[in-house]
Amino acid sequence: MEDIAIVGLDCAFPGAAGAEAYWDLLMRGGDAVGGVPARRWDPDDFPAVPGAGGFLDDADVFDADFFSVSPREAAAMDPHHRLLLHCAWRALEDSGRPPGDLAGSDTGVFVGMMGGEWGRLTMGSPASATPQLGAGSSNGMAANRISYHFNFTGPSLAVDTACSSSLVAVHLAAGALRTGECDTALAGGVNVLLSPSLGLVYAQMGLAAPDGRCKPFSADADGIVRGEGVGLVVLRRLVDAVADGQRIYAVLRGSAVNQDGRSNGVTAPNRWSQQAVVQAAYERSGITPDQVAFIEAHGTGTVLGDTIECAALGSVHAVPRPAPCAIGSVKGNLGHLEGAAGIAALIKAALALHHRVVPASRFADRENPQLKLAGRGMRLLKSPLRLPPGETVAAVSSFGMGGTNSHAVLSTAPRAALSASPAPAGASVTGATPRSGETGVFTLSGDTPEALRRNLVAQAEDVAGRPRGDAARLCWSSNRIKTGLPYRFAVAARDSAELADALRKAAAEDLSATAAHRPWARPVVAFLFTGQGSAHAGMTAPLYRDSPLYRRHLDEADAALAPYLGASVREVILSGDERVHEPAFAQPALFAVGCALARTLVALGVTPAAVLGHSLGEYAAAVTAGALDLDEAARLVVRRAALLRDLPEDGGMLAVRAGGEPVAELLAAEPEVRIAAVNGPSDTVLSGPREALSRIGQALRARNVDTRNLPVTHAFHAPQTALMAEALREEPVRATAPAVPVFSTRYGRMLREEPMDGAYWADQAALPVLFDAALGALVAETSPTHLLEIGPRPQLLPLAGRAGHAAALEGLHPAPGPEATGRELAETVAALHRAGLDPVWEALYAPGHRVMVRLRPYVFRSDHHFWDRRPGPAPAPAEQRYPETRSPEPQSPAQPEGTPEHAREPREPGPVLAAVVDAVVEVGGHPRERVLREARFYEDLGFDSVMIMQLKGRVESRLPQVGEVSVQELLPALRSVGTLADFLDDMVMVNAA
Amino acid sequence: MPRDTVYLAAAGTALPGDPVDNAALAKLLGVSEEWIDLFVGTRARHFAWDPATGEVLRTLADLCAEAGARALEAAGLGPADIEFLVLATATPDHLLPTTATEVADRLGMDHLPVYQLQAGCSGAVQALDLGRRLVAGGHRAGLLIGGDVTHRFLAVRRSAARMPTEELVNHVLFGDGAGAVVLTAEPGEEAVALRGVLNRCAGLRRPPGQFIDWSGLSDRDTERRMLAEDYKAIEEHVPAISVEIVWELLGELGWTVDEVDHILPPQLSGRMTARIMERLPVPSATEVSCVSETGNTGNALPFLQLDRLLPRLDRGQRALAVTVESSKWIRAGFALEKA
Repeated sequence: MEDIAIVGLDCAFPGAAGAEAYWDLLMRGGDAVGGVPARRWDPDDFPAVPGAGGFLDDADVFDADFFSVSPREAAAMDPHHRLLLHCAWRALEDSGRPPGDLAGSDTGVFVGMMGGEWGRLTMGSPASATPQLGAGSSNGMAANRISYHFNFTGPSLAVDTACSSSLVAVHLAAGALRTGECDTALAGGVNVLLSPSLGLVYAQMGLAAPDGRCKPFSADADGIVRGEGVGLVVLRRLVDAVADGQRIYAVLRGSAVNQDGRSNGVTAPNRWSQQAVVQAAYERSGITPDQVAFIEAHGTGTVLGDTIECAALGSVHAVPRPAPCAIGSVKGNLGHLEGAAGIAALIKAALALHHRVVPASRFADRENPQLKLAGRGMRLLKSPLRLPPGETVAAVSSFGMGGTNSHAVLSTAPRAALSASPAPAGASVTGATPRSGETGVFTLSGDTPEALRRNLVAQAEDVAGRPRGDAARLCWSSNRIKTGLPYRFAVAARDSAELADALRKAAAEDLSATAAHRPWARPVVAFLFTGQGSAHAGMTAPLYRDSPLYRRHLDEADAALAPYLGASVREVILSGDERVHEPAFAQPALFAVGCALARTLVALGVTPAAVLGHSLGEYAAAVTAGALDLDEAARLVVRRAALLRDLPEDGGMLAVRAGGEPVAELLAAEPEVRIAAVNGPSDTVLSGPREALSRIGQALRARNVDTRNLPVTHAFHAPQTALMAEALREEPVRATAPAVPVFSTRYGRMLREEPMDGAYWADQAALPVLFDAALGALVAETSPTHLLEIGPRPQLLPLAGRAGHAAALEGLHPAPGPEATGRELAETVAALHRAGLDPVWEALYAPGHRVMVRLRPYVFRSDHHFWDRRPGPAPAPAEQRYPETRSPEPQSPAQPEGTPEHAREPREPGPVLAAVVDAVVEVGGHPRERVLREARFYEDLGFDSVMIMQLKGRVESRLPQVGEVSVQELLPALRSVGTLADFLDDMVMVNAA
Repeated sequence: MPRDTVYLAAAGTALPGDPVDNAALAKLLGVSEEWIDLFVGTRARHFAWDPATGEVLRTLADLCAEAGARALEAAGLGPADIEFLVLATATPDHLLPTTATEVADRLGMDHLPVYQLQAGCSGAVQALDLGRRLVAGGHRAGLLIGGDVTHRFLAVRRSAARMPTEELVNHVLFGDGAGAVVLTAEPGEEAVALRGVLNRCAGLRRPPGQFIDWSGLSDRDTERRMLAEDYKAIEEHVPAISVEIVWELLGELGWTVDEVDHILPPQLSGRMTARIMERLPVPSATEVSCVSETGNTGNALPFLQLDRLLPRLDRGQRALAVTVESSKWIRAGFALEKA
């Protein structure tokens, strides 16, 4: 049989809220059985039922908002279904895939659960039936709801074979994967003790342990105790899991299901059928009984059950073997989980193979000698069993009261090749810093700011508990799994300790101000390429060291320049060589840095909506916009630099913190000095002979105007460099129309039909740089949300700020100075992700760091109890139950997406709107204050077609003046509460006219 | 099944915080930077405690867990794959539970043999010696860790002016750190074979060359030296013993001096290591040292050197490591060969 991999799992069992807690409970031999919680029933009312059980702490909590389920529906929903929804999300996350990414896939859902108690309890009398209860009480809906909420289109079914339900579900899921019905399957089961009825049945049948403890294979075994739980595994074909780099807990080699047939009564176990199902499973798995190291047995702890099971196992395993087959049963810890018993057993076995140690079986110390285990090739696990290295085979049994038996064979995950990746180069050269990965971005998301905070706390705790190390793998995993929800957090981190601090700090901060944007649009990014004067020795060297991506792109730019330059500009840049200020190198160096930074960002998924280059920066801008190819631009830049080198170095440039009048006045007296750049209303650059500039500088300083000599060798954009400009005019240039709008500092506006040819580059060099005008046009015409400065030092963002262009914009700089490393680049990506960008995350990490680690799964809201009382034979109507739950938090998803703050202010509600709100509250059970005008029926209020029909009825009875409205007429108006009210308003007016 | 050859799959290290250079240390101690440069020749070291306040920022277990996790990650192994853990240190966080068991917990390792070796500069080699025997006895993979922390023995806050020179030297000589290697039965991709291990205490009737004390309820107030070294004896004997160790390893393996491509010499201090190197009879070998940048980190040293060696070791190359623990004159070393 084709091997199936268990790639993810999640569970909640008594005394164990998750998989990690479950493992701890098993390893310490914990007892999770306790008294009946007050919310269920009063044991004194049922003296015939043992007053003990394995109860979940949080069987009644549900994050209805997360799944957009209306309060009324949540209250009517079978608690089994609610638990499964949480579990499914967390299990999928554990498998290393964001649940949202599987939407629309053929993922299958196979849920085992027995009975149908919720339906009996809530719909016992026809009078109490409602559509929500109807949908909420069917077992089939347990699987179907998962498929619905996650949008899975593969097979979706509930399995009821009594106590073997969930292992049979796993068997069916594996079959569906093998036949190609689905590529991923969720399989498992759930069991909640809603009433003492079944306990009474067990007591009547003599199956209930008087002491309320299930004692499998013990001399004291005298019956079962009931238990609760939910568990799901994520299954994939092994080849797919390996190909996708998913982590594997264990491999499902094969399984079998059969029936007792007409045995000694419908509820009596059948030794021969049990033996047959084990043998069939081994045969299908291609293993022999001597290979099986341990069996997680059904082990109900009833004398008859234990005896028959051991006899059946004995006839299979009493073969010559290296060591006896170890057996145990988790029922000693949790009780009998009925429909969920099989998944509790399977998860235990999978975790044991994963950790390579099998927990001891509780109550094993007084082994029942009648079972003759030693003579049957078996031994009861009285202490934990450390598994030997290499492949280990294990098996799991689960039998149903009605005679449906199942057995599954598991083995350890295939081990990855030893040391595939030698230490990344650089066992650090100096030894000053330990070798470490690149700076990554850790991402987290939640459906509300509060959810984000809750999950920040959980992740901080998890990361802090790990040994310190590089953050790259954690970051990469978080990018893969934790980015799908509307409220986003992102932070740059290199090291896990630093990451834990950042998470802790963020959780304590006001998230609404920093992290928790709710992006409903993508960021619109403009690239501003820095020009002359920003070059410095060793610029971007730390970034080059840190970022493989930047390395690649700077190398590319270097290779493009080298044939024309006859030297490596990269060497000049990175070595800290002061020649970077010489005319021959300064311009090619800046060009290379600009191109490499821009290409790095583009590779990360940051696509500019517009580009603007200041003077020389226009070359890299033109390359980024696709107007020049890299090679052509490299040739032109080197040509420009060479022309410059031949000019006398007698000119200079002066930056002046003033504009207009005072400058014009002084220029009149200095005819050789020109305005080289208009950078803002009070930012001007002058160009000309040094002596003349010095005179102007003195005069301005006397008027308390700040000036600064720019570190340039020539008077650019002035007559002194006109020769260079004229030579450029003669250059043939291969230019094409830009693919991205270019805001030209030559024209001070968006480039239209003008080609970026020789004449353009000549004028661009000779005429003033109209940065202020170009940026003004850019902001006005493309409405960017972010300005990114592309250069080795901040020049343009401060100018933009002073000119007032950046007031409502966020300025980001991926390489803001000599100290900038990969961190600033990562922070830029983090900021853009918070603002709605979905970066190309893999570009941020070296392949060796793109390794998935298991992160703590999503923490759901747990303060919201939807099942506060024993449902009883006559349940209280949902409207009355809901107010007993705690008041909802002010920020919840019922607030419509994309609604600015001010829109939430209540308007004067007209009578029609009020009637609509009343009807919604009545149908959905929402608190009135959450039914806002902007609330959307499907996304925010969790309405479905049944509720829409109910709503129509309620509205019609409240607003008779609307008259008869067909569903077809109504549907287009059913976007939000407001659109419906507007539509009905119109109807009222039409009818009145 | 018994095995002949065991392999080093990967190494990992942990050096806390930023390096403290001689200028910074000289300022804290109130001594001249030149004195450190000349006397010790160590340029920088890391401390897991704040030299200004003495506050302990990271424990030995923190450092060892980090180094161990890095080694596991580099080896592509998970905690369940590791079948034994050996940790060598002179400076455990507590006497019990051992730092070794604390580190096993941090690394998520359960139900496996965990050993702690009380040792000094030879601790890493002792760990290798024990580890190779465990692998030879049938285990498939083990984690070896060595580390030391100095906060109990150095106190920069105390007025350095009143310290005698031999005590002052300790403050510039030592540093904090941890290193780890994963030992496997299978060659893996790197196939760095551990060819030989020398581990011999040769201190019969010899006074200790290094002394580290500890105190408890009854004696914590006594004014005795907690850390002392017999520098004269060390300078005299360690170079000579090192030469003997090289000859012994070569003789055992049948290697000639020209066949050694890399040499990992003892890491007492930059200056001492240079003096020893002058005498070691391996003319064609490249030196792999770390002490100038890390200070003397005791049990971590050979692992820090291994971390530097592994990326440089080419197929067919051989390396020799030598260490002398002067506490009771333990001579130790090992030989590696990459297939």
